[in-house]
Amino acid sequence: MGYPHKPHARETPVLSQYFGDAEARSLDGWRKRGGYTAFERSLGMAPADIVNIVKESGLRGRGGAGFPTGVKWSFMKPGDGKPHYLCCNADESEPGTFKDREIMRWTPHALVEGCAIGAHAIGAETAYIYIRGEFTEPIAWMEAAIKDAYAAGILGKNAMGSGKTVNVWVHRGAGAYICGEETALMNSLEGRRGNPRIKPPFPAVAGVFGQPTTINNVETLAAVPHVLNNGADWYKKFSRSDNPKSTGTKLYSVCGNIARPGNYEVSMGFPFKDFLYDLCGGPLPGRKFRAVIPGGISVPIQTVSEAEASLMDYEGFVAQGTMLGSGGVIVVDDAQNLVKFIARAARFFAHESCAQCTQCREGTAWTTKILERIAAGEGTTEDLDTLLEIADNMTGKTICVLSDSCATPVVSGLKKFRSDFESLIKKKTHHLVPAVA
Amino acid sequence: MTSPPTQTVNLTIEGRPVSVPAGTSILEAAKTAGVLIPHYCYHPGLPVAGVCRMCLVDVEKAPKLAPACATSVAEGQVVRVYTEKALEARQGVLEMLLINHPLDCPICDQAGECELQDYTYQEGRPEGRYREPKRFNPVEDFGGDVIYVANRCILCTRCVRFMDDVVHHPILNVSERGDRAVIGKFEGEDMTHPWAGNVIELCPVGALLSKDALNKARAWELDRAGSICPNCSQGCNVMIEARDNTIVRLRPRPNEEVNHYFMCDHGRLNYRWLNRRDRVDVPMVRQGATLAGCDWERALAEASRVTTGKRVFVLASPMLSNEALFLLSEIVRRTGGTGAFRVQTGPEVPLPGVDDLALRPDRAANVKGAELLDFTRRDRPLDALGAGDVLLVADEELVGEDASGAAKAGATIVVGTTLPFWARHTASVVLPIANMSEEEGTFTNIRGRVQRYLQAKAAPGFARPAWFVLADLLAALGGTAIGGGLPSDVFAALAAARPEFAGLSYETLGMRGALTANAIAGASL
Amino acid sequence: MSIREMGGVEAPADTSHGRHAEPHQPVFVGARKEELDELLARYPSKMAALLPALWMVQHDRGWVSEDAMAEVAKLLELTPAYVKGVVTFYTMYHQHPVGKYFVQVCTTSPCQVCGAEEVVDAFLRHTGCQELGVTSPDDKFTVIEVECLGACGFATPVMVNEDFIESVTPEGVPELLSRYK
Repeated sequence: MGYPHKPHARETPVLSQYFGDAEARSLDGWRKRGGYTAFERSLGMAPADIVNIVKESGLRGRGGAGFPTGVKWSFMKPGDGKPHYLCCNADESEPGTFKDREIMRWTPHALVEGCAIGAHAIGAETAYIYIRGEFTEPIAWMEAAIKDAYAAGILGKNAMGSGKTVNVWVHRGAGAYICGEETALMNSLEGRRGNPRIKPPFPAVAGVFGQPTTINNVETLAAVPHVLNNGADWYKKFSRSDNPKSTGTKLYSVCGNIARPGNYEVSMGFPFKDFLYDLCGGPLPGRKFRAVIPGGISVPIQTVSEAEASLMDYEGFVAQGTMLGSGGVIVVDDAQNLVKFIARAARFFAHESCAQCTQCREGTAWTTKILERIAAGEGTTEDLDTLLEIADNMTGKTICVLSDSCATPVVSGLKKFRSDFESLIKKKTHHLVPAVA
Repeated sequence: MTSPPTQTVNLTIEGRPVSVPAGTSILEAAKTAGVLIPHYCYHPGLPVAGVCRMCLVDVEKAPKLAPACATSVAEGQVVRVYTEKALEARQGVLEMLLINHPLDCPICDQAGECELQDYTYQEGRPEGRYREPKRFNPVEDFGGDVIYVANRCILCTRCVRFMDDVVHHPILNVSERGDRAVIGKFEGEDMTHPWAGNVIELCPVGALLSKDALNKARAWELDRAGSICPNCSQGCNVMIEARDNTIVRLRPRPNEEVNHYFMCDHGRLNYRWLNRRDRVDVPMVRQGATLAGCDWERALAEASRVTTGKRVFVLASPMLSNEALFLLSEIVRRTGGTGAFRVQTGPEVPLPGVDDLALRPDRAANVKGAELLDFTRRDRPLDALGAGDVLLVADEELVGEDASGAAKAGATIVVGTTLPFWARHTASVVLPIANMSEEEGTFTNIRGRVQRYLQAKAAPGFARPAWFVLADLLAALGGTAIGGGLPSDVFAALAAARPEFAGLSYETLGMRGALTANAIAGASL
Repeated sequence: MSIREMGGVEAPADTSHGRHAEPHQPVFVGARKEELDELLARYPSKMAALLPALWMVQHDRGWVSEDAMAEVAKLLELTPAYVKGVVTFYTMYHQHPVGKYFVQVCTTSPCQVCGAEEVVDAFLRHTGCQELGVTSPDDKFTVIEVECLGACGFATPVMVNEDFIESVTPEGVPELLSRYK
């Protein structure tokens, strides 16, 4: 199994503090490290107070959307007489992202505790952790941790002696990236095809099993005990002085052509240039960076100069033409074929499309075919225009954003690396004779 | 118990002011303004899916286009359907739908009534630019009357939602993912449910087709007439479609009060009897051992002669119109006779997702009309025939039944589409009539709804509508002549004479029908 | 794009639709039935136990046959067509028997730029599989490409049945395969 590297001096290990620490995986080990004190305390607090602390902290969804977590929790109306549900999105399938798996297999109790607090805060008695089917090791660790937590009376009908019921269950996915979309996750949990739902209704009104539901990412929930233990003000300190909108630490998964891939935890606002060259060791020997994607394959590709100018928080990446997304940093160097890279990304989306919306179902496959044809040297200049028009048709017109996500690498790739495409093109058009005007 | 009044929402669609109840979708609201927003997956009889993405409209001040079928109206909304943004989006959808769509129009049954053709012609790109190989899936027999041509499927999922939410028999699924997706089913589960054939009607393209109607006619060759399904007492509204005077198929016609948007397969596929060739098409009178053709005057005179001074027993068919049955009942009254009918029955098969809609046990269209017009239902109607009575056989063959009781009759008059074999030696007169697809008339359904049907094809030879023949016969027997000579006049006479039908007329019936007085009072249930 | 092009398993030429000469032996008897009943208590609807139930079938039988789908459908009060629609959605459920060891190599873009294609070639060479998705002649291995396995920093990740192996290189493939007898 892979082992996380030693933390760099400039990292801020909060969630990742015990990565690699085998003892932290056990219930006793976790308790020794302060585990479940936050949960115990939260059981004695009013749910609204917990929500306020989380709101105040500025914690935002770490799955990719960046929605303020406390605000999301506040959508769950107390006392409506309906069963509430918490779903933990552990479907982690965004290419470039591999942080949630580390949280689950090194600090499973952190997630259990985060789910338990979250469930209590939103008035839910049941939390489901939806883990993608391929994560056999994280699933095993989470099942074991939950089993121990039940045995120790932390979970169950009388959680930590509070008289309150808190259940946490693992639900195993079966191979579908789209189930990381919150409404598709709910459908999958219900035993359906993983089709995203139209919103409204929103999950907080009618979610899983038709009941009010909140869906949070693993990293988000794992941060909650820390926020409760150390307070909102502590969490807010991890930010740029001139940007209070992005607070806390973020686990960035770094992969691709870079010296030291792995997971790195830094404070919001960290300079991306230092991150790439100092923490991650820069490019491989004899190579140069060519393109950087900071937030998983669905966010726009950056040029190296854009990346080097970025500050690592939600607003900082937007200012440099991309998004923080899931924080999956993919680095591509000058020895790679960028067109093939983007074609393979399109193929990923074509494979994962749920097939509901016309533009996604047909457009992802069409985009893939054109890109693969270009990569094979049989593209035309016309194809480049067609690609952009297809991408425009795929953006902002579908039930979920998988369609937009497929268009993003195509559009940003053509915008910033057009010469890569043009160098593979020999013909202008497919027409043997000019089209009739 | 009344529910609180629903709030009304006012908005503007394509510049036209619209006022609809809160919760109405933009798509439905647009219909009230006479604006048809192009769509595929939406259907008023099915739950909303919002997957085809065809109905995207431009809502002022909204950042993204909104799917009209899945977006509720809001006060003061300004909706535009034909802005450049919306047109581009719809053109994009059409292009995407066509990239894997086979060039089947020349051989596809849906041509001429295909929504993909229609919208592409209206708003699509003039030229395709897809250069890659198209996806291929084989044709599948889904069982029942349904064949699935997977290549043409646009995955609107209407069929899946229909089988699930309306039939409560979810045997169709979407299989696979992405552009590999197709409609699938499980081996051993077939589309044999009596209501399954509606998917053929629901399918906007030529993916789900009727095996029975396969390749029989082009849509534009068909003559159409609004009618009522004659095959049970539900009275589903239908469209009869004929080519060269032969009925090719029946299709459901929407009626919220009766059948919503659907009809069952028993009704849909039982039209061949309307195309029968073994018809009597010329009036005949007995000459010794044979029946000889003659003109109408001669035949009517003979019928009148045979009947005068006798009691008439009418063996009626519950497939006859209200008009015909009314005239028959007048003949019965004048002669002091009686009338009876029998009806074939079968199991009732409800369509669970629609209120009060079923394939009814009485497999004939006008059982209610017959009952209201004094005909008695009997398993063996000829048992009521008195010895020496004149037996007037009104289009009833008593197929498979024992007709030996007819021998008691003093004389037999046949008014029918065919000559029953058991009357071929005893009939004195044969008066040929049209079947229901060859005339205009009304039926009364199980709930007392009187509905009009129109003529779809021509009757053979000299055959005339039953009401026409019976009006002449009634007049020849000395009854009051029906003035005017139109079926609406006969109906007016019926409405004047019978309190159940009071106040109804062809105008008030329209093509939606209306309830009899009793039905409105709830007594008929 | 065909299912094969998308990295799926090619159906063998067998046309028995997943049915064999022997009648289907129920999966959910004894301990498995108890396990399913316990699971059902976690959800307010029977349908929600569908994915877990299908995993149990795959664990016990190696794949999900149509007979098994019918069995699960009956237990959860669903139609077999519905269950099949769900099974065909999720790529991890095998609809046909596969080799004893099912090798899944991630080749999505981040792994592609780290040499995943060479890893795939190495697997095909050393398992004797003629091509992707086609089981090796000795029935031991089936190799397919899969989408992002969520271990991008440990390129190239590979799954062999339920084992998740990180940082696989073409040179390391023979040793890896030797662990699977």
